[in-house]
Amino acid sequence: MTVTTKSALSGLFDETLWSTINSFYIAEAWLLDDRKLREWLDLFTEEMVYYMPRRRNVNRKELDREIPARGTDLPYFEDSRKLMEVRIQRLESGTAWAEEPPSRTRHLVGNLLIESVEDDGTVRAKTAFICHRSHGETATALYSGYRQDVLHPVDGSWKISDRTVVLDANVILDKNLAIFF
Amino acid sequence: MKTKKYNVIDQETGRLDPTIYCDPDIYKEEMEKVFGRAWLLIGHDSLIPKPGDFFHTYMGEQPVILSRDKTGQVNAMLNICRHRGARVVRTDDGNCKSFVCPYHAWTYGLDGKLEWVPGEEELYDGTIDRAQLGLKRARVATYAGLIFATWDQQAPSLEEYLGDARWYLDLEFNRSAQGTKAFGPHKWVIPINWKTAVDNCSDWYHVPYSHASAANALTRIMGAPRMTSDVLWKKKGRAAFVNGHQVAFFRLPEDSFDGNPYGVDSTAENHREAIERLGELRGDGLMLGTHSLFPNTVLGFRIVIPRGPNETEFWHFSMTNAADTPDKQRAVALEHAAQNGAGGHFESDDIDNWSQVSSSGKYAGAREIGQYVNMGIGNTHTDDVFPGQISDRFVTEQNHRFFYNRWEEFMNADSWDDIPLDPMKATFEGTASMDG
Repeated sequence: MTVTTKSALSGLFDETLWSTINSFYIAEAWLLDDRKLREWLDLFTEEMVYYMPRRRNVNRKELDREIPARGTDLPYFEDSRKLMEVRIQRLESGTAWAEEPPSRTRHLVGNLLIESVEDDGTVRAKTAFICHRSHGETATALYSGYRQDVLHPVDGSWKISDRTVVLDANVILDKNLAIFF
Repeated sequence: MKTKKYNVIDQETGRLDPTIYCDPDIYKEEMEKVFGRAWLLIGHDSLIPKPGDFFHTYMGEQPVILSRDKTGQVNAMLNICRHRGARVVRTDDGNCKSFVCPYHAWTYGLDGKLEWVPGEEELYDGTIDRAQLGLKRARVATYAGLIFATWDQQAPSLEEYLGDARWYLDLEFNRSAQGTKAFGPHKWVIPINWKTAVDNCSDWYHVPYSHASAANALTRIMGAPRMTSDVLWKKKGRAAFVNGHQVAFFRLPEDSFDGNPYGVDSTAENHREAIERLGELRGDGLMLGTHSLFPNTVLGFRIVIPRGPNETEFWHFSMTNAADTPDKQRAVALEHAAQNGAGGHFESDDIDNWSQVSSSGKYAGAREIGQYVNMGIGNTHTDDVFPGQISDRFVTEQNHRFFYNRWEEFMNADSWDDIPLDPMKATFEGTASMDG
């Protein structure tokens, strides 16, 4: 969509909606950073997809190839609920060495943009994030990127059915992707 | 007899000198003597299917353009402009008619020939000898769609370099006339020495413990077979060693992990064709397990790109059968991504181990005590059916000793004349050839 101040202020900018979703994202970030991964996973629907594509270096005229289309490539993640359950049970085991001892993460999530609101309340939202990871004695990594979510109103809160995480990095400067965004 | 400069692995005791993982001088020498001489995997046919397609890759640390020219020929050229050394290609891949250096616009053809220099007459007075100033080219050869290159004009052919290891590699890469298709790669930088990633690929000793969390969760949730030490260590799978390459293999059905335990079955649909191409024994009776090609290829396929004594860029591709439906290819690729690759259930847990193994050579105490890869010493033999040196144990450190022995052979050699090759003995029945 084209973002203009005017449309942001009028059409889609429902201040209450924006605030409630922003609060949701702040709470979500705390769950990740407080390592409450079960509660974090509960924010997703049963049919969820957690998706993270690769990012290619391409010429400006070919930017449509920069992020490969879903289903055509080898993404870092394209996880169903079941696969997310594998990841979380793995981490809970105490022998998932990539996160044992666990990383200290700090997710800063902002620049919330509500891209669309459908009649049934489904919201498409885009946020930017910076995530700092500190692991073991000296390992650190800094991630930046954006997320695009499909959110559904459920029992006074929101559930995410589809999350796309797009990192800004071409080559990932971290030993593994053992944390979530 | 010439004194060996490097004697880092004691074949009698398995003692390994960890200095090889972090000494900057050794690393510098490796870049010349190993990565400057060996055949290196740099890509796959499916990454550059059409004329004009290119894919940016690496040979050791050096940036390389892999291209398909108008005649369909595959070229590998150093991505360094002959004028001032700028990189001619800055993207990961693409399609073009020529490569134009962004600095002064020296322009090269898809095969690296210098085609145009701005101001050739006006500024250089016609003194440029374009024929002498093409991009530096590497020798290129392909095997079953896998593209290899070497800088060394004296290197033996790829066929000799792979030797009888190819007899086993055919089980996965040469099953079908349509070949394989690569997806990816994931690229990430890890704080390890490149050798650690290669030797770990054939180390099944670590799997039941290092990967217990992943294996158990997959068993509970996805119904995958159990991968406990009890299951793994009794497996009858074998490994073969040729020219420093390692291939693990199984005889079906008795040696297998109940078929293909953690994977979508990628072999069923071209089973009949595989028998026609590879013969009954290979097409029907054998399955390839882990495999690594000296020096830095961990097939599935994955490339281990050195970036310094304790830094490595890992490239993880997923290999699928080109004959399979797109849906099945996608399922295979996604499964590979979930298990290995940057975010893989299994792979994530490896990296800190590799990092610590690699960096242990920094410490005097660790150098004094050494490392030990002594499992299974003496347990290899030759076999009438299976080419190469064979280990009847699936979990073994034979692979490590063969790999580091090969490393010594490269590092102690002045040229390819001093690097031995195992004789080729395998019978390649069927129709599968080097070209697939």
